[in-house]
Amino acid sequence: MPELGRAALVLCLGLSLYAAAAGAFAARTRRRRLAASAANALYASFGAAVIASLVLAAALLRHDFTFSYVAGHTSRELPVAYTLSAFWGGQEGSLLLWLLILTAYAAAACALNRRRAPDLVLWVVPVLGGVASFFSFLLVVVASPFGTQPPPLDGSGLNPALQNPYMLAHPPMLYLGYVGLTVPFAFAMGALLSRRADERWIVATRRWTLGAWAFLGVGQLLGAHWAYVEVGWGGYYAWDPVENAALMPWLAATAFLHSVMVQEKKGMLKVWNVLLVILAFGLSLFGTFLTRSGILSSIHSFTEGSIGPWFVGFIAVVTAFSLALVFVRLPLLRARTKLESPISREATFLYNNLLLVALCLTILWGVIFPILSEAVRGEASAVRGPYYNFFLRSFGLPLLLLMGIGPLIAWRRSSLRALRRTFAWPAATAVATGVILLATGAGSSLLGVVAYSFSAFVLASIVVEFALGASARSSLAGESWPVALASLVARNRRRYGGYVVHAAVVLLAVGIAGSSIYDTVREKTLRPGQTLQVGRYAVTYRNSVERRAANAQEFRALVDVRRGGQLIGRMQPGRNWYPAEQQASSEMAIRRDWTRAEDLDLIVQRFNSSDGSIELKALVKPLVNLIWLSGLLFIGGALIALWPDAREQRRLAARYADSSVAAPA
Amino acid sequence: MARKASPARLVIALSVAALLAIFLVYTAIAGGGRPVLQPGKLKGHREKVSLGGKVVGPVRSSAKSGYRFRIRDVNGTATIPVVYRDTPPPQFKVGREISVDGRVRNGVFVGDRGTLVTKCPSKYSSKPS
Repeated sequence: MPELGRAALVLCLGLSLYAAAAGAFAARTRRRRLAASAANALYASFGAAVIASLVLAAALLRHDFTFSYVAGHTSRELPVAYTLSAFWGGQEGSLLLWLLILTAYAAAACALNRRRAPDLVLWVVPVLGGVASFFSFLLVVVASPFGTQPPPLDGSGLNPALQNPYMLAHPPMLYLGYVGLTVPFAFAMGALLSRRADERWIVATRRWTLGAWAFLGVGQLLGAHWAYVEVGWGGYYAWDPVENAALMPWLAATAFLHSVMVQEKKGMLKVWNVLLVILAFGLSLFGTFLTRSGILSSIHSFTEGSIGPWFVGFIAVVTAFSLALVFVRLPLLRARTKLESPISREATFLYNNLLLVALCLTILWGVIFPILSEAVRGEASAVRGPYYNFFLRSFGLPLLLLMGIGPLIAWRRSSLRALRRTFAWPAATAVATGVILLATGAGSSLLGVVAYSFSAFVLASIVVEFALGASARSSLAGESWPVALASLVARNRRRYGGYVVHAAVVLLAVGIAGSSIYDTVREKTLRPGQTLQVGRYAVTYRNSVERRAANAQEFRALVDVRRGGQLIGRMQPGRNWYPAEQQASSEMAIRRDWTRAEDLDLIVQRFNSSDGSIELKALVKPLVNLIWLSGLLFIGGALIALWPDAREQRRLAARYADSSVAAPA
Repeated sequence: MARKASPARLVIALSVAALLAIFLVYTAIAGGGRPVLQPGKLKGHREKVSLGGKVVGPVRSSAKSGYRFRIRDVNGTATIPVVYRDTPPPQFKVGREISVDGRVRNGVFVGDRGTLVTKCPSKYSSKPS
């Protein structure tokens, strides 16, 4: 079995190398048959990656401990779902997942576009083949998941903290996002190499970028929720390098998704878009490298394997090659038109892009600061939460406001009169929100009031957009309001899906602001019968119990919760002790109040066996549930924007035909 | 006829300038980060640092003096006694890699409350931690 896996990986490496070399030669010499052969090699590399993956999955399910990887990451008692999740639980397996998704995406992207954009695909094949070659090489030479050993009686198991349903989905989601950014990168390079620097590569990869971006966003939210419910510190994001590694490409991709609209509509920002896609792909590689190199101090454990230098080399080659290509092709990337007014839709997209990229780069600066400071001063220094929070506020709040302004401003230029008319309702809503918040005593944080007022402005602008559009359709087509609304969204999926995503971002911003600015934290040592007041809640410690679970000893404190003097429930925070792993875990108790959208979190920091007391930490997190709710809305909006649209396909096909005729030979 | 300057360039230039200004203001106010050190490199540092390393036992705890233990270099032998007057996270144990902020006082590293973090289990470690 391991031999089959190794053979499949060697075959995958050979096929990818062939796709890269033969594909490049064929594209340069315009040999169609050789190009088709290179594309077929790329499709076949996916088959080889599938075989290698099936071998590993079968070994995991059979608890075949002759595979060092299986013995190192699973045990016989581990439930099936977690056993399978060990596929990406270790370095070698996660790299194999990278390769599997990459070759699947590569095969699908090339197959779907070979007729729509054949001259682009000609060069896309070698680029994707080159990336696949790198990951195949790593798996064959540096980090093979098919190493063998004399089988031990049982495996080492999986860390208890990773045995959580969110951890089943979080890493694959991030991978689908990271790897998905390879496709727009490959098409951008393909466009430059084939000297077809029009909008075709953007149109061909729009859904790929959107999909990758959506997966990255959902993956991060799943990780944040795992941290919230499992790690037991009452937070969900710690600005750790590993977390930032996923956030940075997501920010770059967000900027890209907005700026491509300007290029499609106005033929502007061509260089900028190519640079953004290089940045997003480079950051996805950088993120993968970060989690594997041990180069940075992080609250996450890193393996300190030999894989880091290979990644540094590959990132350097990719960056140098792509930037050189952009430089060489600069004459082809001239804009067709110019920005006519600083008060126009395209200008707001530009401001949005600058803020997103600025936020992305300041986070990158914070992440690499320890490396740079050590190189310059000989001593590593790290920036912490306050650094990131400062820039999140500095760039995030204007971004939030722009999200509401952008859709209200016309393309090319807007008159003051038009602005007054379109801004009236959203601006009035924002002011009213601010006044109400101040009047109801929520003005303790000016930042919170500003964030909520901006959020109200954006939500009002979205409602205005939907209402005006549906009203126009209703009166033009004589449709009822619900039908008009549905057909409005169906006919403009990208635009209205985008608005739904904007609404999700508003919920996220409100949730983050509420749970971080207005939260209440209390800590106290409680003896049985004693009460701790936290916000509107009074929590009374009754006693503690100990019980045996399947693979852990559970210690729980029984705590009564009252609000307004009325008993509203009993919570059981505590700790688990896993004897096999010799490890404790905090089991935070969460009381979710959906009507107030707030959580009461209880964490037992310590059981004092001497006097039966507990050290209890209680947190009230207002609006934190909006963060998780925003995830559902985000998925909904992304699905609307991603949903295939036959009318759009016909329009684009016509544009392809036109541009093929007009294109230089 | 003089060439009309593009507003896009102006916008980009102003934005970059604003970004740099914000950055300068931040670094002027908040400084350039906190040293990240292991016990072997602590000598001569009196300012606040972030200390990383592995927990060496025995770990003694009392309500009055908090937790007392030593931290050793991850790949070395240098150690320093640590006092931490707060409850460490549940994953805290001898041999575990941790990070804690604080400063050296009379040869003992005094950790700030709420800053001790144990490393999360990795999804990508070659061996379970």
